[in-house]
Amino acid sequence: MYLTIDTRDARPIYQQVVDGIKEVIARGELKEGTSLPPVRQLAADLGVNLNTIATAYRELQKDGLIVVKHGSGSVVASRTAAERDEGDLLRPLRTALTQLVLAGLPSNKILEIVARELLMVTKGK
Amino acid sequence: MSNDLFIVIAYLVVSGGSRIRGIFRRWQQPGLRGREWFFNVHVLPDFYTGEGRKILRGYRMRMLMPVAIEVIIAAAIFISGHLQNLVWLIAGIAVFIHVNHVFNVDAAERKARAFAVAEAEEPVPSVVLSLKSRRLRDYSNPKLELAIAMVTVGVFAWLLRYYLASTEQHNFRIVFAVPLFLLYAQLGHLFAKQIIVAWRMPVPQADAEEHLTAREERRKFYLRVCDISRLWNVAMLLFWPVLLSISTNNVAFFAGVWFGSLILVSIALSIWQEIRRKQVLALALRTRPAKLPDLLGDTPVPNWPVCYQPSAPMLVLKGARGYSLNLANTLAQMGAAYLAGLGVLMVVLFRTAH
Repeated sequence: MYLTIDTRDARPIYQQVVDGIKEVIARGELKEGTSLPPVRQLAADLGVNLNTIATAYRELQKDGLIVVKHGSGSVVASRTAAERDEGDLLRPLRTALTQLVLAGLPSNKILEIVARELLMVTKGK
Repeated sequence: MSNDLFIVIAYLVVSGGSRIRGIFRRWQQPGLRGREWFFNVHVLPDFYTGEGRKILRGYRMRMLMPVAIEVIIAAAIFISGHLQNLVWLIAGIAVFIHVNHVFNVDAAERKARAFAVAEAEEPVPSVVLSLKSRRLRDYSNPKLELAIAMVTVGVFAWLLRYYLASTEQHNFRIVFAVPLFLLYAQLGHLFAKQIIVAWRMPVPQADAEEHLTAREERRKFYLRVCDISRLWNVAMLLFWPVLLSISTNNVAFFAGVWFGSLILVSIALSIWQEIRRKQVLALALRTRPAKLPDLLGDTPVPNWPVCYQPSAPMLVLKGARGYSLNLANTLAQMGAAYLAGLGVLMVVLFRTAH
Protein backbone atom coordinates (compact mmCIF):
# COMPACT_ATOMS: atom_id res chain seq x y z
CA MET A 1 0.00 0.00 0.00
CA TYR A 2 2.21 2.78 -1.34
CA LEU A 3 1.78 6.39 -2.29
CA THR A 4 4.13 7.39 -5.11
CA ILE A 5 5.39 10.90 -5.80
CA ASP A 6 7.30 11.47 -8.99
CA THR A 7 9.05 14.80 -9.55
CA ARG A 8 9.11 14.15 -13.32
CA ASP A 9 5.33 13.86 -13.36
CA ALA A 10 3.57 16.91 -14.81
CA ARG A 11 0.76 16.61 -12.25
CA PRO A 12 1.13 18.71 -9.11
CA ILE A 13 1.98 16.83 -5.91
CA TYR A 14 -1.53 17.20 -4.44
CA GLN A 15 -2.99 15.57 -7.60
CA GLN A 16 -0.49 12.70 -7.34
CA VAL A 17 -1.61 12.20 -3.73
CA VAL A 18 -5.28 12.24 -4.82
CA ASP A 19 -4.65 9.74 -7.61
CA GLY A 20 -2.46 7.57 -5.37
CA ILE A 21 -5.12 7.32 -2.66
CA LYS A 22 -7.79 6.66 -5.29
CA GLU A 23 -5.70 3.76 -6.64
CA VAL A 24 -5.24 2.30 -3.15
CA ILE A 25 -9.01 2.52 -2.53
CA ALA A 26 -9.77 1.01 -5.95
CA ARG A 27 -7.49 -1.95 -5.20
CA GLY A 28 -9.39 -2.53 -1.97
CA GLU A 29 -6.31 -1.94 0.17
CA LEU A 30 -8.11 0.88 1.93
CA LYS A 31 -11.53 -0.50 2.73
CA GLU A 32 -14.72 1.36 3.47
CA GLY A 33 -14.61 2.91 6.93
CA THR A 34 -10.80 2.73 7.18
CA SER A 35 -9.22 5.84 8.65
CA LEU A 36 -6.82 7.82 6.52
CA PRO A 37 -3.77 9.35 8.19
CA PRO A 38 -4.55 12.85 9.49
CA VAL A 39 -3.60 15.70 7.12
CA ARG A 40 -0.82 16.90 9.42
CA GLN A 41 0.66 13.42 9.80
CA LEU A 42 0.60 12.55 6.10
CA ALA A 43 2.21 15.91 5.26
CA ALA A 44 4.92 15.25 7.86
CA ASP A 45 5.51 11.66 6.68
CA LEU A 46 5.70 12.60 3.02
CA GLY A 47 7.73 15.76 3.64
CA VAL A 48 5.33 18.08 1.87
CA ASN A 49 3.53 21.29 2.77
CA LEU A 50 0.43 20.95 4.95
CA ASN A 51 -1.71 22.70 2.31
CA THR A 52 -0.72 20.10 -0.31
CA ILE A 53 -2.36 17.30 1.67
CA ALA A 54 -5.26 19.49 2.81
CA THR A 55 -6.04 20.24 -0.87
CA ALA A 56 -5.73 16.55 -1.77
CA TYR A 57 -8.15 15.52 1.01
CA ARG A 58 -10.61 18.23 -0.09
CA GLU A 59 -10.50 16.82 -3.63
CA LEU A 60 -11.12 13.30 -2.36
CA GLN A 61 -13.98 14.56 -0.22
CA LYS A 62 -15.46 16.41 -3.20
CA ASP A 63 -15.29 13.19 -5.23
CA GLY A 64 -17.16 11.41 -2.44
CA LEU A 65 -14.30 8.99 -1.76
CA ILE A 66 -13.63 10.07 1.79
CA VAL A 67 -15.79 11.45 4.55
CA VAL A 68 -14.37 13.93 7.02
CA LYS A 69 -15.72 13.22 10.50
CA HIS A 70 -15.11 15.80 13.18
CA GLY A 71 -12.96 14.36 15.92
CA SER A 72 -12.12 11.09 14.17
CA GLY A 73 -10.44 12.38 10.99
CA SER A 74 -11.07 11.18 7.46
CA VAL A 75 -12.41 7.75 6.60
CA VAL A 76 -12.93 5.97 3.30
CA ALA A 77 -16.54 6.49 2.21
CA SER A 78 -18.85 3.68 1.22
CA ARG A 79 -19.16 3.05 -2.51
CA THR A 80 -22.87 3.83 -2.40
CA ALA A 81 -22.10 7.18 -0.87
CA ALA A 82 -19.66 7.80 -3.67
CA GLU A 83 -22.28 7.01 -6.33
CA ARG A 84 -22.11 9.45 -9.17
CA ASP A 85 -23.93 10.14 -12.34
CA GLU A 86 -23.02 7.52 -14.95
CA GLY A 87 -22.42 10.23 -17.54
CA ASP A 88 -19.84 11.80 -15.23
CA LEU A 89 -18.08 8.48 -14.81
CA LEU A 90 -18.06 7.59 -18.49
CA ARG A 91 -16.82 10.95 -19.78
CA PRO A 92 -13.11 10.48 -18.85
CA LEU A 93 -13.22 6.90 -20.17
CA ARG A 94 -14.60 8.12 -23.47
CA THR A 95 -11.92 10.82 -23.68
CA ALA A 96 -9.19 8.24 -23.03
CA LEU A 97 -10.63 5.80 -25.58
CA THR A 98 -10.83 8.61 -28.15
CA GLN A 99 -7.14 9.34 -27.58
CA LEU A 100 -6.27 5.69 -28.15
CA VAL A 101 -8.39 5.47 -31.33
CA LEU A 102 -6.84 8.69 -32.62
CA ALA A 103 -3.41 7.25 -31.89
CA GLY A 104 -4.26 4.61 -34.49
CA LEU A 105 -4.57 1.60 -32.22
CA PRO A 106 -6.88 -1.21 -33.39
CA SER A 107 -9.92 -2.08 -31.26
CA ASN A 108 -8.53 -5.41 -30.03
CA LYS A 109 -5.31 -3.72 -28.91
CA ILE A 110 -7.35 -1.05 -27.08
CA LEU A 111 -9.40 -3.76 -25.36
CA GLU A 112 -6.18 -5.50 -24.33
CA ILE A 113 -4.81 -2.24 -22.88
CA VAL A 114 -8.09 -1.55 -21.05
CA ALA A 115 -8.15 -5.07 -19.57
CA ARG A 116 -4.51 -4.78 -18.46
CA GLU A 117 -5.05 -1.36 -16.89
CA LEU A 118 -8.22 -2.55 -15.15
CA LEU A 119 -6.24 -5.41 -13.65
CA MET A 120 -3.58 -2.91 -12.59
CA VAL A 121 -6.15 -0.66 -10.94
CA THR A 122 -8.05 -3.41 -9.11
CA LYS A 123 -5.26 -5.86 -8.29
CA GLY A 124 -2.15 -3.75 -8.57
CA LYS A 125 -0.43 -6.05 -11.07
CA MET B 1 33.73 -2.64 49.84
CA SER B 2 32.24 0.79 50.67
CA ASN B 3 29.12 2.05 48.91
CA ASP B 4 31.02 4.93 47.29
CA LEU B 5 33.71 2.64 45.92
CA PHE B 6 31.02 0.33 44.57
CA ILE B 7 29.27 3.26 42.81
CA VAL B 8 32.55 4.40 41.25
CA ILE B 9 33.35 0.87 40.00
CA ALA B 10 29.79 0.39 38.67
CA TYR B 11 29.99 3.75 36.85
CA LEU B 12 33.38 2.94 35.32
CA VAL B 13 32.24 -0.54 34.18
CA VAL B 14 28.80 0.42 32.79
CA SER B 15 29.57 3.88 31.44
CA GLY B 16 33.14 3.11 30.35
CA GLY B 17 32.03 -0.09 28.59
CA SER B 18 29.29 1.60 26.64
CA ARG B 19 31.49 4.59 25.76
CA ILE B 20 34.28 2.39 24.37
CA ARG B 21 31.74 0.47 22.30
CA GLY B 22 30.21 3.74 21.04
CA ILE B 23 33.56 5.30 20.20
CA PHE B 24 34.67 2.20 18.29
CA ARG B 25 31.40 2.12 16.34
CA ARG B 26 31.33 5.82 15.47
CA TRP B 27 35.03 5.80 14.59
CA GLN B 28 34.38 3.25 11.85
CA GLN B 29 31.04 4.62 10.72
CA PRO B 30 32.19 6.98 7.91
CA GLY B 31 33.76 4.13 5.90
CA LEU B 32 31.28 1.33 6.56
CA ARG B 33 30.17 1.26 2.92
CA GLY B 34 33.74 1.07 1.64
CA ARG B 35 36.36 3.50 0.35
CA GLU B 36 33.98 4.96 -2.24
CA TRP B 37 31.70 6.27 0.46
CA PHE B 38 31.91 8.75 3.30
CA PHE B 39 28.80 7.97 5.37
CA ASN B 40 26.07 8.24 2.72
CA VAL B 41 28.03 10.45 0.32
CA HIS B 42 29.42 8.75 -2.78
CA VAL B 43 32.88 10.35 -2.91
CA LEU B 44 35.58 10.59 -5.58
CA PRO B 45 38.28 7.85 -5.53
CA ASP B 46 41.06 10.07 -4.08
CA PHE B 47 38.85 11.44 -1.28
CA TYR B 48 40.55 9.67 1.62
CA THR B 49 44.03 10.61 0.47
CA GLY B 50 43.17 14.26 -0.15
CA GLU B 51 40.77 16.66 1.57
CA GLY B 52 38.74 13.75 2.92
CA ARG B 53 41.46 12.92 5.44
CA LYS B 54 41.01 16.37 7.03
CA ILE B 55 37.22 16.02 7.07
CA LEU B 56 37.50 12.57 8.64
CA ARG B 57 39.90 13.85 11.31
CA GLY B 58 37.56 16.77 12.10
CA TYR B 59 34.63 14.35 12.44
CA ARG B 60 36.57 12.11 14.83
CA MET B 61 37.75 15.03 16.97
CA ARG B 62 34.18 16.34 17.33
CA MET B 63 33.03 12.79 18.07
CA LEU B 64 35.39 12.59 21.08
CA MET B 65 34.23 15.93 22.52
CA PRO B 66 31.39 14.54 24.74
CA VAL B 67 33.75 11.89 26.16
CA ALA B 68 36.33 14.53 27.05
CA ILE B 69 33.62 16.60 28.76
CA GLU B 70 32.36 13.53 30.63
CA VAL B 71 35.85 12.67 31.90
CA ILE B 72 36.32 16.22 33.28
CA ILE B 73 32.89 16.33 34.98
CA ALA B 74 33.22 12.77 36.33
CA ALA B 75 36.63 13.64 37.78
CA ALA B 76 35.13 16.73 39.45
CA ILE B 77 32.30 14.61 40.90
CA PHE B 78 34.74 12.00 42.24
CA ILE B 79 36.93 14.68 43.84
CA SER B 80 33.97 16.55 45.37
CA GLY B 81 32.43 13.30 46.63
CA HIS B 82 28.91 14.16 45.34
CA LEU B 83 28.52 10.75 43.73
CA GLN B 84 24.72 11.03 43.48
CA ASN B 85 25.32 13.50 40.61
CA LEU B 86 26.74 10.68 38.47
CA VAL B 87 23.15 9.75 37.53
CA TRP B 88 22.60 13.20 35.99
CA LEU B 89 25.97 13.03 34.27
CA ILE B 90 25.15 9.65 32.70
CA ALA B 91 21.69 10.84 31.53
CA GLY B 92 22.97 14.20 30.25
CA ILE B 93 25.97 12.79 28.41
CA ALA B 94 23.88 10.03 26.79
CA VAL B 95 21.62 12.70 25.24
CA PHE B 96 24.58 14.94 24.37
CA ILE B 97 26.45 12.10 22.61
CA HIS B 98 23.49 11.38 20.33
CA VAL B 99 22.68 15.02 19.52
CA ASN B 100 26.38 15.74 18.91
CA HIS B 101 26.62 12.72 16.63
CA VAL B 102 23.63 13.76 14.50
CA PHE B 103 25.03 17.28 13.97
CA ASN B 104 28.58 15.97 13.56
CA VAL B 105 27.60 13.51 10.80
CA ASP B 106 25.57 16.20 9.05
CA ALA B 107 28.47 18.69 9.19
CA ALA B 108 30.95 16.09 7.90
CA GLU B 109 28.62 15.02 5.07
CA ARG B 110 28.07 18.64 4.03
CA LYS B 111 31.83 19.14 3.75
CA ALA B 112 32.26 15.85 1.89
CA ARG B 113 29.61 16.75 -0.68
CA ALA B 114 32.13 19.12 -2.29
CA PHE B 115 34.11 15.99 -3.23
CA ALA B 116 31.16 13.79 -4.19
CA VAL B 117 30.53 12.00 -7.47
CA ALA B 118 28.36 14.52 -9.34
CA GLU B 119 25.62 12.17 -10.57
CA ALA B 120 25.24 10.58 -7.12
CA GLU B 121 24.27 13.98 -5.75
CA GLU B 122 21.21 14.18 -8.00
CA PRO B 123 18.03 13.49 -6.03
CA VAL B 124 16.04 10.42 -7.05
CA PRO B 125 13.08 11.44 -9.21
CA SER B 126 10.40 9.37 -7.51
CA VAL B 127 9.71 8.24 -3.96
CA VAL B 128 7.13 6.05 -2.29
CA LEU B 129 5.56 6.22 1.13
CA SER B 130 4.09 3.15 2.75
CA LEU B 131 0.55 3.81 3.94
CA LYS B 132 0.41 0.58 5.94
CA SER B 133 -0.97 1.43 9.36
CA ARG B 134 1.30 0.76 12.33
CA ARG B 135 0.19 0.68 15.94
CA LEU B 136 2.28 0.48 19.08
CA ARG B 137 0.37 -2.61 20.17
CA ASP B 138 1.48 -4.46 17.01
CA TYR B 139 5.07 -4.10 18.22
CA SER B 140 4.40 -4.93 21.87
CA ASN B 141 4.69 -8.22 23.70
CA PRO B 142 1.47 -8.62 25.76
CA LYS B 143 3.18 -10.83 28.38
CA LEU B 144 5.98 -8.32 28.88
CA GLU B 145 3.53 -5.41 29.09
CA LEU B 146 1.40 -7.30 31.61
CA ALA B 147 4.46 -8.16 33.73
CA ILE B 148 5.67 -4.52 33.72
CA ALA B 149 2.19 -3.24 34.60
CA MET B 150 1.75 -5.77 37.42
CA VAL B 151 5.15 -5.04 38.97
CA THR B 152 4.54 -1.28 38.75
CA VAL B 153 1.07 -1.45 40.31
CA GLY B 154 2.31 -3.92 42.94
CA VAL B 155 5.26 -1.75 43.94
CA PHE B 156 3.17 1.40 44.25
CA ALA B 157 0.48 -0.43 46.23
CA TRP B 158 3.16 -1.70 48.63
CA LEU B 159 4.77 1.76 48.94
CA LEU B 160 1.41 3.40 49.66
CA ARG B 161 0.65 0.85 52.35
CA TYR B 162 4.14 1.29 53.80
CA TYR B 163 3.83 5.10 53.83
CA LEU B 164 0.32 5.15 55.29
CA ALA B 165 1.29 2.69 58.03
CA SER B 166 3.30 5.44 59.72
CA THR B 167 3.08 8.82 58.02
CA GLU B 168 4.95 10.49 60.91
CA GLN B 169 8.01 8.26 60.57
CA HIS B 170 8.12 7.83 56.78
CA ASN B 171 9.28 10.72 54.66
CA PHE B 172 7.19 11.07 51.48
CA ARG B 173 10.24 11.92 49.38
CA ILE B 174 12.27 8.95 50.55
CA VAL B 175 9.37 6.57 49.89
CA PHE B 176 8.06 7.96 46.60
CA ALA B 177 10.60 10.28 44.90
CA VAL B 178 12.67 7.62 43.16
CA PRO B 179 9.71 5.36 42.22
CA LEU B 180 7.80 8.34 40.79
CA PHE B 181 10.85 9.35 38.81
CA LEU B 182 11.18 5.78 37.50
CA LEU B 183 7.49 5.70 36.63
CA TYR B 184 7.87 8.92 34.68
CA ALA B 185 10.92 7.47 32.92
CA GLN B 186 8.81 4.41 32.05
CA LEU B 187 6.24 6.73 30.41
CA GLY B 188 9.12 8.40 28.56
CA HIS B 189 10.18 5.04 27.17
CA LEU B 190 6.64 4.38 25.96
CA PHE B 191 6.62 7.78 24.33
CA ALA B 192 9.95 7.00 22.63
CA LYS B 193 8.44 3.72 21.38
CA GLN B 194 5.46 5.62 20.00
CA ILE B 195 7.80 7.94 18.07
CA ILE B 196 9.75 4.98 16.68
CA VAL B 197 6.54 3.24 15.55
CA ALA B 198 5.02 6.39 14.07
CA TRP B 199 8.20 7.58 12.29
CA ARG B 200 7.69 7.36 8.53
CA MET B 201 9.67 8.70 5.62
CA PRO B 202 9.50 8.23 1.86
CA VAL B 203 12.02 5.89 0.25
CA PRO B 204 13.38 5.82 -3.32
CA GLN B 205 10.92 4.03 -5.56
CA ALA B 206 13.70 2.15 -7.37
CA ASP B 207 14.56 -0.08 -4.37
CA ALA B 208 11.61 0.58 -2.12
CA GLU B 209 11.31 -2.99 -0.81
CA GLU B 210 14.97 -3.15 0.32
CA HIS B 211 14.73 0.19 2.08
CA LEU B 212 11.43 -0.65 3.77
CA THR B 213 12.69 -4.05 4.95
CA ALA B 214 15.85 -2.48 6.40
CA ARG B 215 13.78 0.19 8.14
CA GLU B 216 11.36 -2.35 9.59
CA GLU B 217 14.27 -4.37 11.04
CA ARG B 218 15.83 -1.21 12.45
CA ARG B 219 12.47 -0.20 13.93
CA LYS B 220 12.10 -3.59 15.65
CA PHE B 221 15.67 -3.38 16.96
CA TYR B 222 15.22 0.05 18.54
CA LEU B 223 11.89 -0.99 20.04
CA ARG B 224 13.61 -4.00 21.60
CA VAL B 225 16.33 -1.73 22.99
CA CYS B 226 13.57 0.43 24.52
CA ASP B 227 12.00 -2.67 26.09
CA ILE B 228 15.35 -3.71 27.59
CA SER B 229 15.68 -0.26 29.08
CA ARG B 230 12.14 -0.53 30.46
CA LEU B 231 13.02 -3.84 32.11
CA TRP B 232 16.03 -2.16 33.72
CA ASN B 233 13.68 0.53 34.95
CA VAL B 234 11.29 -2.06 36.44
CA ALA B 235 14.19 -3.86 38.14
CA MET B 236 15.18 -0.56 39.77
CA LEU B 237 11.57 0.07 40.80
CA LEU B 238 11.29 -3.40 42.33
CA PHE B 239 14.46 -2.75 44.28
CA TRP B 240 12.90 0.18 46.16
CA PRO B 241 10.40 -1.67 48.42
CA VAL B 242 13.06 -4.30 49.09
CA LEU B 243 15.49 -1.56 50.13
CA LEU B 244 12.91 0.03 52.44
CA SER B 245 11.97 -3.23 54.11
CA ILE B 246 15.42 -4.63 54.96
CA SER B 247 17.48 -3.60 57.97
CA THR B 248 20.12 -0.86 57.55
CA ASN B 249 22.95 -3.36 58.24
CA ASN B 250 22.02 -5.44 55.21
CA VAL B 251 21.51 -2.58 52.75
CA ALA B 252 25.10 -2.50 51.46
CA PHE B 253 25.24 -6.26 50.95
CA PHE B 254 21.84 -6.39 49.33
CA ALA B 255 22.51 -3.41 47.05
CA GLY B 256 25.79 -5.04 46.02
CA VAL B 257 24.07 -8.30 45.06
CA TRP B 258 21.20 -6.51 43.30
CA PHE B 259 23.29 -4.10 41.25
CA GLY B 260 25.98 -6.70 40.62
CA SER B 261 23.32 -8.97 39.11
CA LEU B 262 21.91 -6.09 37.06
CA ILE B 263 25.36 -5.26 35.70
CA LEU B 264 25.93 -8.89 34.69
CA VAL B 265 22.53 -9.05 32.98
CA SER B 266 23.28 -5.71 31.28
CA ILE B 267 26.58 -7.03 29.94
CA ALA B 268 24.81 -10.11 28.56
CA LEU B 269 22.09 -7.95 26.96
CA SER B 270 24.69 -5.58 25.55
CA ILE B 271 26.35 -8.52 23.80
CA TRP B 272 22.98 -9.56 22.35
CA GLN B 273 22.32 -5.95 21.34
CA GLU B 274 25.69 -5.71 19.58
CA ILE B 275 25.10 -8.93 17.63
CA ARG B 276 21.60 -7.83 16.61
CA ARG B 277 22.82 -4.33 15.74
CA LYS B 278 25.38 -5.81 13.36
CA GLN B 279 22.66 -7.87 11.65
CA VAL B 280 20.48 -4.77 11.25
CA LEU B 281 23.47 -2.81 9.97
CA ALA B 282 24.29 -5.50 7.41
CA LEU B 283 20.75 -5.20 6.08
CA ALA B 284 20.96 -1.39 5.98
CA LEU B 285 24.27 -1.53 4.09
CA ARG B 286 22.61 -3.51 1.32
CA THR B 287 20.47 -0.50 0.47
CA ARG B 288 22.05 2.17 -1.67
CA PRO B 289 21.85 5.64 -0.14
CA ALA B 290 19.90 8.09 -2.24
CA LYS B 291 19.23 11.77 -2.00
CA LEU B 292 15.49 12.40 -1.73
CA PRO B 293 13.87 15.23 -3.68
CA ASP B 294 12.80 18.35 -1.85
CA LEU B 295 9.00 18.29 -1.93
CA LEU B 296 8.52 21.24 0.39
CA GLY B 297 8.70 23.92 -2.26
CA ASP B 298 9.11 27.45 -0.97
CA THR B 299 9.07 26.68 2.74
CA PRO B 300 11.77 28.78 4.47
CA VAL B 301 14.85 26.95 5.74
CA PRO B 302 15.14 27.22 9.55
CA ASN B 303 18.32 28.81 10.90
CA TRP B 304 18.13 27.52 14.48
CA PRO B 305 18.20 24.05 16.04
CA VAL B 306 14.58 24.65 17.13
CA CYS B 307 11.88 26.22 14.94
CA TYR B 308 8.10 26.58 14.61
CA GLN B 309 6.79 25.91 11.10
CA PRO B 310 3.14 24.82 11.02
CA SER B 311 3.08 24.71 7.22
CA ALA B 312 5.80 22.03 7.21
CA PRO B 313 4.72 19.78 10.10
CA MET B 314 7.73 17.40 10.09
CA LEU B 315 9.32 16.57 13.45
CA VAL B 316 12.76 17.48 12.14
CA LEU B 317 13.48 19.88 9.29
CA LYS B 318 16.70 20.26 7.38
CA GLY B 319 18.11 23.53 8.63
CA ALA B 320 20.79 25.91 7.46
CA ARG B 321 23.17 24.46 10.08
CA GLY B 322 22.16 20.82 10.34
CA TYR B 323 18.75 19.89 11.65
CA SER B 324 16.00 21.83 13.30
CA LEU B 325 13.39 20.45 15.71
CA ASN B 326 9.99 21.69 14.56
CA LEU B 327 7.79 22.60 17.52
CA ALA B 328 4.74 22.71 15.25
CA ASN B 329 4.90 18.91 15.11
CA THR B 330 2.60 17.03 17.52
CA LEU B 331 5.34 14.65 18.68
CA ALA B 332 7.70 17.58 19.32
CA GLN B 333 4.96 19.26 21.36
CA MET B 334 4.39 16.07 23.35
CA GLY B 335 8.14 15.75 23.89
CA ALA B 336 8.34 19.34 25.12
CA ALA B 337 5.37 18.69 27.43
CA TYR B 338 7.13 15.57 28.72
CA LEU B 339 10.31 17.49 29.53
CA ALA B 340 8.29 20.29 31.18
CA GLY B 341 6.46 17.62 33.21
CA LEU B 342 9.82 16.18 34.26
CA GLY B 343 10.89 19.61 35.48
CA VAL B 344 7.64 20.05 37.44
CA LEU B 345 8.00 16.57 38.93
CA MET B 346 11.54 17.30 40.09
CA VAL B 347 10.50 20.63 41.64
CA VAL B 348 7.50 19.02 43.40
CA LEU B 349 9.63 16.20 44.80
CA PHE B 350 12.33 18.66 45.82
CA ARG B 351 9.88 21.00 47.58
CA THR B 352 8.27 18.09 49.41
CA ALA B 353 11.64 17.34 50.93
CA HIS B 354 11.70 20.65 52.79
